Amino acid sequence: MDLSAIGIQTNFSVLDWCIVIGYLLVIVAVGVYIKRYVSNVTDFIVAGRGLKTFLAIATMIGTELGLVTVMYSAQKGFTGGFAAFHIALAAAIVTLVVGLTGFIVVPLRQMGVMTIPEFYERRFGRGVRILGGIILTFSGILNMGMFLKAGSIFVMGITGMASEFELKIIMTVLLGMVLLYTCLGGMVAVVILDYIQFVVLSFSLLLTCILSIRYLGWHNIIDTVRQVQGEAGFNPFHSEGFGTSYVVWMFFLGLVSCAVWQTAVIRACSAESTSVVKKLYTWSSIGFLIRFLLPYFLGISALVYITQNESLKNVFLPDGAPADAQTTLMAMPVFLSQILPIGLIGFVAAGMLAAFMSTHDSYLLCWSSVLTQDVVAPWFKKGLSSKTRLLLARIFILCIGIFVLVWGLWYPLGQDLWDYMAISGAIYFTGAIALLTFGLYWKRASRVGAYLALFCGFCSILGLKPVQALVGIDFSSATVGLTVITMAVLLMVVGSLVFPDRGPSFERKE
Amino acid sequence: MNFWINFWTIFFFASLAVFAGLAVVVTIGGFFNIRSLFKKLTNQVDQHDDQP
Repeated sequence: MDLSAIGIQTNFSVLDWCIVIGYLLVIVAVGVYIKRYVSNVTDFIVAGRGLKTFLAIATMIGTELGLVTVMYSAQKGFTGGFAAFHIALAAAIVTLVVGLTGFIVVPLRQMGVMTIPEFYERRFGRGVRILGGIILTFSGILNMGMFLKAGSIFVMGITGMASEFELKIIMTVLLGMVLLYTCLGGMVAVVILDYIQFVVLSFSLLLTCILSIRYLGWHNIIDTVRQVQGEAGFNPFHSEGFGTSYVVWMFFLGLVSCAVWQTAVIRACSAESTSVVKKLYTWSSIGFLIRFLLPYFLGISALVYITQNESLKNVFLPDGAPADAQTTLMAMPVFLSQILPIGLIGFVAAGMLAAFMSTHDSYLLCWSSVLTQDVVAPWFKKGLSSKTRLLLARIFILCIGIFVLVWGLWYPLGQDLWDYMAISGAIYFTGAIALLTFGLYWKRASRVGAYLALFCGFCSILGLKPVQALVGIDFSSATVGLTVITMAVLLMVVGSLVFPDRGPSFERKE
Repeated sequence: MNFWINFWTIFFFASLAVFAGLAVVVTIGGFFNIRSLFKKLTNQVDQHDDQP
């Protein structure tokens, strides 16, 4: 999209490019330097289990507050108004409850596992581990497939860049930098860089929100959302907006993203002790709240700014309704490119791009670890050496990077990015939540029940719009997700009761 | 609708204030945690190098 053609110029200058490039080079240099601290596979995957509370919180929020989160959340704020805040509230409440009770994450840490499929093996056997590992990585890699597209749209929006070719080069270079330091430094590099990105992104987002309020005025923001979206822009239960089933789906997603999603759980597995795990989740509830809330607000601010600018209104709100998913994704970066001054815009862009890299590194490490530990290693009866596992993990990182590059460039989005993320993740977590909850808290949960729940969870793929178009159905992501989770739980219970296990139960250790 | 407007207004500004506080605390605390992590990993690397 070439906004200069309709007279819209970005504030992004040469100075801002220098800030961005300088910052990213420093980040990569630090990542490469950290290689010297990695001596084995445990250092590589869970940083030697040496994370203390504050660093664990920073790295948890640093990972979860990525550019992709900012983009899809801003899009939800743009299309849903203040009512979208309920997603942030749901995430915070659920994470706080997990932190206070230790639900799922404390037993996992007590068992000393590094990945969730490792738990599957201890509880349900090797076959469940391999199948669970395959579904988890399929879902996870599909989930991160849109990261590069979201990053590209952000760069186009904030810099005003219109050449698709230049953009692809930039995104490929960024991905290459992430691959380099993730391959070399593993989890140690990831946590240190997550910390730096937490600091930069937290303060730049706070500052951006304050500037947005100063620029637009709080009462103006409220009044404009009221005019454009009516009650649905504030009341999440309103039938013309999100609706009750969507709110329920969001509470479920809140639980999943903090206690079942591997990239979050790996932080619990990396923590020094179970008390650190509880503290980590209790404090991270604020992070899980903010990672949605601030971008929603920036999306709402973009809606207000665009509504009051005729040229932009014709592009982003043709006929008064939001344009297609790809266009609305660009609303927030275009808004930032208009209100942030030179220098600050470079700082914010650097923070966002660093966040883009931070999410990529964590996800690359996470899925390559699962492939190595849970899909390949279980096939070798004598086990694999630490060196071989490290090599395998690095090869998988490269392969996933290539997939992400190709997928991000050609997949037609067709729905809000958040809904794509939720449903692609659901392929794994709708089955996983049944395995984790019943596996940890119900002695009679059996292997057959686990297989049935995993296969059922895979049906969530029907929530993706291109898949729906292929099979000729049209359901919302919330309907598909809630139906599949209900079925997965039912199958877990019925399968366990009809086909019980006779093996020994697992042990927990501190 | 006024209930929701007031609710989200209070919720937003309260969250902003709490996060600002958390960001400062985690930034400072995280710095010291990194130092101790590096110490621990350096010791591990040294032990690893000492092994035959």
